[in-house]
Formats: sequence, structure tokens, C-alpha cells
Amino acid sequence: MQPTASPRLSRWRLGALVLALISGGEAGVCIALAALVVVFYLLNHGFLSEVNIRAMLDAVAYVGIIGVGQTVLLVAGEFDLSVGSVAGLCAVIAGWLMTTGHVPVALAVLGGLAAGALLGLINSIVVVRFGIPAFIATLGMLFVAQGLTQVITNGYPIYPLPDVVGNFGQATSLFGIGWAFVILLVLLVVGDFAMRRTTLGRNIYATGGNKEVARLVGINTNRYKTVCFMLVGMLAATAGMLVMGSLASATTSIGQGWELTVIAGVVVGGVSLFGGVGTVLGGAMGMLLLQVVQSGLVVVGVSANWQQVSVGVIMVLAVGLDVVRRKLSFRQVHSVSDVASLLTDLEVATERRTIQRSVGATDDVRVTTTEHNIERGRDS
Amino acid sequence: MPYILATEGLSKHFAGVQALRTVDLKVQPGLIHALVGQNGAGKSTLVKVLNGVYPAGSYEGTVRLHDAPVRFSSPADARACGIAYVPQELQVLENLSIAENIYVGQTGLESKALVRFNELNRRAAQVLSRLGVALDVRAPLASLSAAQKQLVMIARALATAPSVLMLDEPTAALSVHETDRLFLILERLRSEGVTMILITHRIPEVLALADWATVLRDGQIVAEIPRADFHEDAIVSAMVGRRIDLLFPPRDTPIGTEEVLRVERLRVPRPGGAADIISDASFSVRRGEIVGLAGLVGSGRTEVLSAIYGRIAHEGRVFVEGREIAIRQPADARGAGIALLTEDRKNAGLLFNLQLGRNITLGNLHLFANHGLIDRDREDTAARASMRSFEIKAKSIRADVAHLSGGNQQKALLARVLVHTPKILLLDEPTKGVDVGTKQEIYRLILELAGRGLALIVVSSELPELLGMCDRFLVLSNGTIVDEFTKADGSEERILQATARGPVRQQIATA
Repeated sequence: MQPTASPRLSRWRLGALVLALISGGEAGVCIALAALVVVFYLLNHGFLSEVNIRAMLDAVAYVGIIGVGQTVLLVAGEFDLSVGSVAGLCAVIAGWLMTTGHVPVALAVLGGLAAGALLGLINSIVVVRFGIPAFIATLGMLFVAQGLTQVITNGYPIYPLPDVVGNFGQATSLFGIGWAFVILLVLLVVGDFAMRRTTLGRNIYATGGNKEVARLVGINTNRYKTVCFMLVGMLAATAGMLVMGSLASATTSIGQGWELTVIAGVVVGGVSLFGGVGTVLGGAMGMLLLQVVQSGLVVVGVSANWQQVSVGVIMVLAVGLDVVRRKLSFRQVHSVSDVASLLTDLEVATERRTIQRSVGATDDVRVTTTEHNIERGRDS
Repeated sequence: MPYILATEGLSKHFAGVQALRTVDLKVQPGLIHALVGQNGAGKSTLVKVLNGVYPAGSYEGTVRLHDAPVRFSSPADARACGIAYVPQELQVLENLSIAENIYVGQTGLESKALVRFNELNRRAAQVLSRLGVALDVRAPLASLSAAQKQLVMIARALATAPSVLMLDEPTAALSVHETDRLFLILERLRSEGVTMILITHRIPEVLALADWATVLRDGQIVAEIPRADFHEDAIVSAMVGRRIDLLFPPRDTPIGTEEVLRVERLRVPRPGGAADIISDASFSVRRGEIVGLAGLVGSGRTEVLSAIYGRIAHEGRVFVEGREIAIRQPADARGAGIALLTEDRKNAGLLFNLQLGRNITLGNLHLFANHGLIDRDREDTAARASMRSFEIKAKSIRADVAHLSGGNQQKALLARVLVHTPKILLLDEPTKGVDVGTKQEIYRLILELAGRGLALIVVSSELPELLGMCDRFLVLSNGTIVDEFTKADGSEERILQATARGPVRQQIATA
């Protein structure tokens, strides 16, 4: 059908096309990422120095590993705020096992993974069985895991760990990049493939798209959600133990502040907070984008205060883009109530952050940004 | 002649699709003006332009109200100019009272920051009495039936004292009784001089109520018919562009003797403990038989299907081909060869995050997968084959299901439940919100499936449809089967009488 084009209409369509491109998930985030890289490179060629690239990839590796799981869980229609403190607790458990527990390192690592799976299972039982919203359930787990970390360590890092741990954590693979990044790459390939090409992945999309529809076609949605929660727990444990390796010490601060970084990152990458939409690759691109912004600002010498502002803006965009994307695709009318519940969630997040700040956490950046989110959401 | 509302050369495009082309709508004051057309004909688009959902600038042409050109930038704009709109879907706040629901979003009832509830309730009661409805305005919306909620929506529109009231498929969720009552109310409003635009695709409603009918097809006005010239055939042929001689294909395949489905003493308890939703229902369906389940909305029709499919908690025994099946969840029912087409395409049918083809193959991926790995070629081939055999009109299997018309969405869902042929097919309002052409395709499909030996149960609010299609009827009233008869004895009168026999639980209280 050849439309009879009037100038106004074709302009309107062009605008829609641009918007669709921006909000198109992977393509959009790739373009944004490339643009940012070019800008930072032009501002300071040092941005693309070997050292800085290596530093960025190493830094994104830990949260990126969790991001793979968080993406899958978000697609399934749930999310996990406890990833940071689960990472910390699992690292501490593994560290305790291999020192005080005198367990061989390999078994201790398996113990850490098992702990992550168990914590994920508990999250899923609370959410799926007892119907407590994921936000509250995993927020509770965040506190519980943080507390248990203190119980185990009494606030002191577990140190020294067997040499092999630190050697692995500080070892480099190809091009001098750490093993964590290699693990991330493997997880990305496997995760992306599984979500795109397997019945498991498709059924997870169905579960997050509409749980009732999925149930009606015979999908055991509860089981899928449980598996996803356990996956996130294990990946959080993996990331936590990798940081422990790089520090050669199981400190109590491992994983602090990761939860919102991970969610903001994958949402920037096109993963919907409302379930059913997003890809593992896109989520990883989003996390990389956040990392590029943070490193880029350091490299071009912007003062720390402005860096915080930028991170905040990006995080607001994370939610904003998701809302725009939903509007563009004429989704179901539930968005209003979804946004409302999301805002409630963010309010609780703000509260938690405030509490954490008062007990001495350093990253109060996110307090400000979540408040921005809420303000913005109310206006629209 | 002065028109109260008119459009001149109205056109609207969506990404490559022309939804409206040079529409000149003319609405005379004080009349009920029916806007008819199949799904996808452009009715909704036209209405959304008229009530400001699509703002001025996003379409071409002019909208005139009381002969003056108007440019609405939002629904609030349109409301302020006296155009009220009652959408098809209920948009109510379940936890607020009737009065609050009627006046939600309207200012002027507050003194400083406080709501004056007495005034609010008084005015709400006035609006309801204008509708001839006796309801306690302080009752929460959650306590009302769907029909009563619909009336609250109309009251909300009326509370703005509109000069034009637009009603989008107001009877979609109503039973025959409730529809009759609604019509009385609309006639009363007409006698008070309210201009109404009634959007519908039910021709009997147009014949019964409207003074004027504008028929839309493919985004254009194809007929403008005054009441004096109303004739069912004329309207239908304008809608479809061809004459429909035979709505129901003849039944020429025999009904088997073997019971495929037997349900014994089915009971669905009501959460909270009051009277059961379904009490003690027993029946069976034979191979190749189409059983119609009739009854008012709320009589338990949907719940019978839901219980058999394991969607809701129930007691009783279900036998498939003589073997008892324990059905605790839908997966159990599917495993036994039962399939369900739900009434609510939006919330319990389509997955809007997946493309058309993947909506079709959903739930049957094992047919196209090896060890959990999807063979995309096989999946796409199967989806394309379904698209062809069900004549789903879409650009490709990659199409976004949200952009399909109701009829094509329904065909996609039918394709889904039939990817893996079931033994028993449960259909809940299979032609709801579907255009006339697709309806006939669905009738033909249902008969064909019966001919292939499936056992079918059909729920429908449209009695002629049910009577034309089914071999045997069960009439439900308040969760009890109150009558059962075969096609030879079936008539609308008999169904209505059986329905009336049961105690009616909840009706609109009309003064």
C-alpha cells in the first residue's frame, strides 16, 4: 500500500521511526554505546588505551555475570534485589569453608555456589509459594544475607585465603583481561543462545509475558521462576567469589550496591522491568554502557560530583526508556498500575538506601537517583 | 442541516496502514446514531479522534462540534467541550464507592483540600436516578456485577453533562436481559435530548435502537442509512461488502455414540464461602458432538469450562474416553487432550511480547524441538501453515499480535489450540468481538472439527449463534443446569424461559 504522503505525515512517521530505533532494545543501546565511546575517545584519546579498556572490562565483568541472571529473571517477570548481599554472603561462606572449615578450595567454591542456589531457592519459595512480591521478598533477603555475613565474619575480613584463590583471582587471560570477563563471555553466549533458541527460553518469555496465558498452555510457570531465582543466586555467588579472588580476601563489603547497578544496567539494555521483554546480549550492552559512562567521565577528568549526576541521569533514562518502549508497542493497558507498583517499589528502595546510608554505606548516589525516578514518574 | 458533531475529510494513518480515509461523519442532534462496521473497519480510530485520544495534528481533516471546528489535544479537552465517552472495557476503581467512581477525575466537589462526600453522594444519586437505577452510591464498585459497573461508567459520562455521549460496544459484556434494560435507559436519555453515538457490530441492536446508521468499511463510510430504510440484509452487506446468504453451514456429519467427555457432580466453591459458583453439574459430550452452554453472564458458564480445564479449583470427577483424569492444573487437562479457547483474548489469550508465529506455536514447542532446542525452520513452517489454513491476515508470522484485528487475533488463538489436535475443545465466546466474516469462518471450523470427531462445548451469549451451531444445549442458571434439550427442541424462548426459572442472583435494579 503506497500511502499518499503529505509533508506533515511523513515527518510524523520519521519521528516515529527514530523513536522506535532509540527504544528498539539492542540496536538502540549499541548505537548509544558506540556514540559514547566515540565522544569519550575524541575528548581524550586515553579513553581507548589498553589499560583503560582492560580496566573497564574487568570492572563490568562481575556485575555483568549477575546481569545475565537478572536479565533472565526479569524476562520471567520477577527480579532480585538481594544479588549484592547474596554475592557477599556466598563469598564469605566460601572463604570461611576454605579457612576455618579446612575444606579443599574446589569444594569450598562449590559450597559457595550451593549457598547461592539455596538463597535463590528461598527467594523463589517466598515469592512463588507464598505470593509475597519479589520486591519485598528479595529486599528481605538482602538484609538477611547482609546480616548473616556479619554473623559469620563479625565484621572482619576472612584472611588469608589459600594462595590458589588469590592467584586465580588476579590471573589474567588473553590480552591481560581477568578470568571473570572470560566467564562473563561464556555465560553471555550460553545465556543468549538458551533464551533465543530453546524451549526453556521461550517458556520463560511466555511466563514473563503473561503468567496466566503461560499456565493455560501448560507451562509450569512456578518451576520456571524457581529455576531463574536459583540461577541468579548462583551467578551472584560466582561474582562474589571472583571478587574475593581478586582481593585475595573475603571482605564484608563484597557486592555492596550491586543490586541497583545490575537492574539499571540491564534495563538500559532493553530488558523490561515488567517482564517478557529483553535479551541477554542487550542487558550486557546496557551494563557496559553504564560502565563506559563511569570510566569515561573519570578519563576526561570530570569532577566526582558531576559523575554522580551523570550516573543518576542514565539510571532515570533506564526507566524512562522502558516506559517509552511500552507506549510505542501498544502493550496492554496495565501499564498504569504497573508503573504505580514500580514507583512504590522505588520508594521502598529509596528508604532502604537511606537506611543503608545512615549505617555507613558509601554509594548514596542512588538515593538521589531513585528519588528522581519517582518524581519523574509522577509527572508523566 | 445543523449537525451537532461532524467530520470533514478525516484521514488517519498508522505506520503504513490507512485507518481512515476522508470520512465525512454527520451526527444529528437528539438521535441515537449507530456506527457499525467489522473489526478493523475504523470505528475505534474514528471514535478516538472524536474524543481526543488521537490529538489534533495526528490526523488530517476537520472535526466540527456545533458547526465550529474543534481541535482536541486530549480526552480531557473533548470532555470539557461536551463529548463523553464510555469505553468498551470497564475502567473502574474497584475499591472506591459508586459515587467516587462516577466523579473520579472531576473537580469542583472539594472544599479546599477535602472532598465533600455528602455533596458527592447526593449528586451521584441524582445521576443514577436519571438513569433509572437504584443503587447505593456508597457501595464499593467491587460489589457490583459487570452490568452494574457498565452503568456506573455511563453515569460517569453523564455526570459531565455531555452534549454527545459515545458508547463503545456497551453490550459486549451484558446478557440479553441486561442489554434490554440498558436499551430502555438509552431510550430514556434520548427522550431527554442527549445525542448518542453507539459503536457496535451487533446488527439487532442497531435495528432495535438506532435512528440513523453509518456503516464503515476499510476506513471509509460505505453507507448512511436512516431508520426508515433499516434492513438487516442491507446493513450486513454494507459491512461485509458481500451478501451473507448462509450464516450457518449445514450439519452433515453424524454424531458419534461414544462419550468422549463425562463430568460428574462438578462443584466450584465460591471463595469466601457463600453459595457455590457451580453446584452439582453432571453432563457428557459424545464424539463429534457440539454442546452449547447457555445462561446469563455470571450463571457459571465460563466457570464450567475453567473447572474442566483445571483453571480454577473444583470438586467432582472428569472422565475422558472413559478414563478418570485428575485435573489440578491446565497442564493436566492438556495432557488428557482437552483444549480451551478463553473469552478474554487480551489477558488470557495472546502474548503481546511474542510475534504472531510464536503465539501460534506456544505450548506446543515440543513438536518443533529436539532435546529442548527449537528448530526454527520447522516452527516457522508450521506457523506459516497455520496462518494459511486459518486465513490469518497479517504481514507475516513476525507480525505484532497487538496490531491484528479481533477476528485475526481469534483465528491465531484457534490456530494455537489446534496445532496439536485435541480430543475435546472448550470454546468460551468464540465469536466475541469478531467481525461477521470471521464469525462465519469460525462456525465452519467448529462444524469441521465436530466432523473430525472432536467433542466440543461452546459458550456464547448470542443465542441465534448457539442455536444455529450446536447439537444439544445445557442451560445454566446460578451454577445449576436447569434444562437440557436437543437441537430439534431448541429455541430462544426455551433457553430464556429456562434461564428465568432459576433464581436470579443479581440484576440491575431498575426503578
